[in-house]
Amino acid sequence: MNTTLAIILKDTFTLTQLKTRIRALKASLLNKFFGGDIEQPPADLNWLSSLPQSLHQQFTKDNVYKIFEDIEKAIPTLPILTIYLAFEPNENSISQIAAFARKVPFPTLLLDIKLDPNLLAGCAFVWKGVFRDYSLRAKLEEKKPEIINNFKKFLR
Amino acid sequence: MLELLQQPAILISSIITLVAISLYFDEYFERKRSSEAQKKIFQETKQKSAELLQAAEEAQTNLLSQGDFVTKQLITKYSDELSDSIKNSGDSISAAQGQLITFMQDLQKRSSDFEEASKVSTEKRISQLFERLEEKLSDFLIQTEQKTASSIELELKSVRQLIETYKNAQLKMIDENIVAMMEQTLSIILTKKLSLKDQLDLIYEALEKAKVEKFIV
Repeated sequence: MNTTLAIILKDTFTLTQLKTRIRALKASLLNKFFGGDIEQPPADLNWLSSLPQSLHQQFTKDNVYKIFEDIEKAIPTLPILTIYLAFEPNENSISQIAAFARKVPFPTLLLDIKLDPNLLAGCAFVWKGVFRDYSLRAKLEEKKPEIINNFKKFLR
Repeated sequence: MLELLQQPAILISSIITLVAISLYFDEYFERKRSSEAQKKIFQETKQKSAELLQAAEEAQTNLLSQGDFVTKQLITKYSDELSDSIKNSGDSISAAQGQLITFMQDLQKRSSDFEEASKVSTEKRISQLFERLEEKLSDFLIQTEQKTASSIELELKSVRQLIETYKNAQLKMIDENIVAMMEQTLSIILTKKLSLKDQLDLIYEALEKAKVEKFIV
């Protein structure tokens, strides 16, 4: 795998986050090598400052475009797990979920987080184009006849 | 004479004249003989005719006398034959009349027999017709009854099915509403009551389960 991408993926857990950060890094480097005055959001600036010096040293005027081209080509080959959540997670939650998900065998797994309040609780996944629901809604659906019977018993 | 001989024309004329004269006399005598013969024949013919006439008159007389007798005989004969014929005809007519009467009587009898047979046959046919009509009417009524019963049964079945379908649809709708209501309630409650930690625990659990089920491999 591309070493630059591997460094980025260490603390980047979602597809959106990865794209944003690569864009921010590219903008920062292009600004550095070719000049310009692009303002970065504070979150991106923080992240850029957290990057090791060795990463910055990999880039030169000559290879910057090539490296980013390679990175962009490598992104579609990464394992991506689409995860539907019943609540809107914060950065910390995303990190915790990703850390849990990246346990062997997918250390470079990326999450594509989507919101679906109808799930009630829990989550649903899309992996390699296949959807599977592990939410409370699915469990309710599974137990529907039993629940209805219990309701009916209760009503009697 | 010698002169004459010296003139052939005169000689020839003389010869011709002599021949003609001889022929004339010959013809004259011949005719005379013929006339006499004819006279003789005429006389004989006349005599014979008179004789014949006389004989004919006699014969006529005889015939007339004989004809009256024959006529009388014939009349008598024909009268007898006619009487016989009339008598025979009368007998024949009487016999024919008798036969005709017999025939008419026979015919009348046959007619009455036929009439009787026809009456019986007609009555029998009418009776059979009524029986068939009765049977057909009975069959028709039974069939109609069966069809009506079947139709009513089908209609009832259809209505029952419709009611059952409606009932099931209503029950399904109620069930769906129960579940929807429950989901809505849970959604409200869980949003308020379920902590972030609990949510994360559920996600970890789901991830574990997906890995165990070999969904994420």
